[in-house]
Amino acid sequence: MLFSVLIYASEDFIDALTPEEHQEIMKKHGAFHEDTKTNKNFAAATKLMSTGTAVTVNKDSDDFVVTDGPFAETKEQFMGFYLLDCANLEEAIDKVKILPLDHGRIEIRPVEYFEGADFTNAERLVINAS
Amino acid sequence: MQSVWLSTHLKAARPRALAALNRAFGDINLAEDAFQEASLKALKAWRQDDLPKDPTAWLIVAGRNAGIDLIRKRSRETLSAPEDLEPDYDGAHPEEDLTQSLDQAVYRDDILRLLFTCCHPVLRRDQQIALSLKVIAGLSVEEIARAFLVQTKTMEQRITRAKKRLQAARLAYEEPDSKARAERFSAVANAIYLVFNEGYSASTGSELIRPTLCEEAIRLARLLVRLFPEEPELRGLLALCLIQHSRRQARLSPEGEAITLEDQNRNQWDRKLIAEGNILLEAALRRATPGPFQIEAAIAATHTRARHYQETDWAELDRLYRALEVIRPTPVVALNRAVVLAKLNGPLEALTRLEKLEAPLERYASFHAVKGAFLAELRQAASARAAFEQALHLSGTDAEQRHIRQKLADLNSCDPAAGQFKRP
Repeated sequence: MLFSVLIYASEDFIDALTPEEHQEIMKKHGAFHEDTKTNKNFAAATKLMSTGTAVTVNKDSDDFVVTDGPFAETKEQFMGFYLLDCANLEEAIDKVKILPLDHGRIEIRPVEYFEGADFTNAERLVINAS
Repeated sequence: MQSVWLSTHLKAARPRALAALNRAFGDINLAEDAFQEASLKALKAWRQDDLPKDPTAWLIVAGRNAGIDLIRKRSRETLSAPEDLEPDYDGAHPEEDLTQSLDQAVYRDDILRLLFTCCHPVLRRDQQIALSLKVIAGLSVEEIARAFLVQTKTMEQRITRAKKRLQAARLAYEEPDSKARAERFSAVANAIYLVFNEGYSASTGSELIRPTLCEEAIRLARLLVRLFPEEPELRGLLALCLIQHSRRQARLSPEGEAITLEDQNRNQWDRKLIAEGNILLEAALRRATPGPFQIEAAIAATHTRARHYQETDWAELDRLYRALEVIRPTPVVALNRAVVLAKLNGPLEALTRLEKLEAPLERYASFHAVKGAFLAELRQAASARAAFEQALHLSGTDAEQRHIRQKLADLNSCDPAAGQFKRP
């Protein structure tokens, strides 16, 4: 079963990290990559650019309205996500334990439907929960 | 290790917490002292595995209490409390109105007010930079002094004088109207770019780039973009800083010598920063309200699109500099445009353009270096040498001087009698 691992953190905090601290966090992600790839749980990793780069698209009656950013309403921002192929929730929980959990929040949410493109040769990877 | 992470939390919370304290007390000095007290409390009370749910809110509450204690202490010392130090707080339950103070809209105004205070037009540029780094970024006086290669005492005096000047100016704390708001954004963006530029092309000393200053400027710009994504000039500012910073590895040789855009190894440019800068710029330009930072970012972005210097889109750069000249008609912009025009139409026309810049840029090393390069290209060796020597005389950093000496050496390496120059 496919699980998404959603990562939330404070961008104020991420921006304030020293290079050494940043490296320590990335090292934990590296270990997570290695473990999940070795054990064939790894499906995808996505790291998002800063929320400052984002726009929000809305529809106002018939007109599309593009507004800048999400306003920083929350103290934590959505930073990125992993997709893991695990036997059950228990295994997914076990897997994420080596991620840097001290900073921010990690949410595990099962995937109902997944379809992805392999951009290099345009083959598709489809995973259906049912 | 633990205290290191805690100090990172303090650093991350600082701008917002300090901005809230500045509003509560209407006094930057007191807000700083209160934040300092709150930080000391935090270092004792916090544990890495058990942080408060909202460290910023925690610091604001602790800082308010500490600030009120300081006011009481000072009023006992002076027997009467100075009126302008009185907080608009009744002393009962500080956490009660915290929900309101943590409201995002209030935060946004607080931060803008704090930033604007630190780079208020009554302050000199060097004071704006020093105060922004000290108050908002939270750098120590020693760190700032080191970055500017001055004695700690000198920097301390600079900051004290800046604060005195602010006090003397008796800044109004009322809400700005939209015109005043736009002016604040512009002042704040300019000050952040000053900080970045001081790091990017240090004006004096042996180091050409001071990454701390660049990184602090980028951190402040990111905070502003996060709080005010609807301000295209702030996105332009961040885009510009990121794209410039993407070249930091390529700009210096292993010996610490400056490498010009022409000779940089473009594979060393940080493509991640370039991608982020480009998308920020695209998002900003959707607003169709161009400003100097967006145009400068577009200029920087144009360079990133050329895989080799020879592929540079000079016509596009000329269009952008022309637009910049309209918005910001300064001699330095005109000088940059002359460099671009030399590429498009040859050095003779560009040299003519330098004539009217001679007076305003007389003391500017780059002007003479550019002039020397044009003259060298026109094979006027003696005049070129004079211009390079003038540039050498005016340049502030060792690396800049080495670069100009190299130009002089290139001149000398050809036979002056024959007027032959090594082709670049």
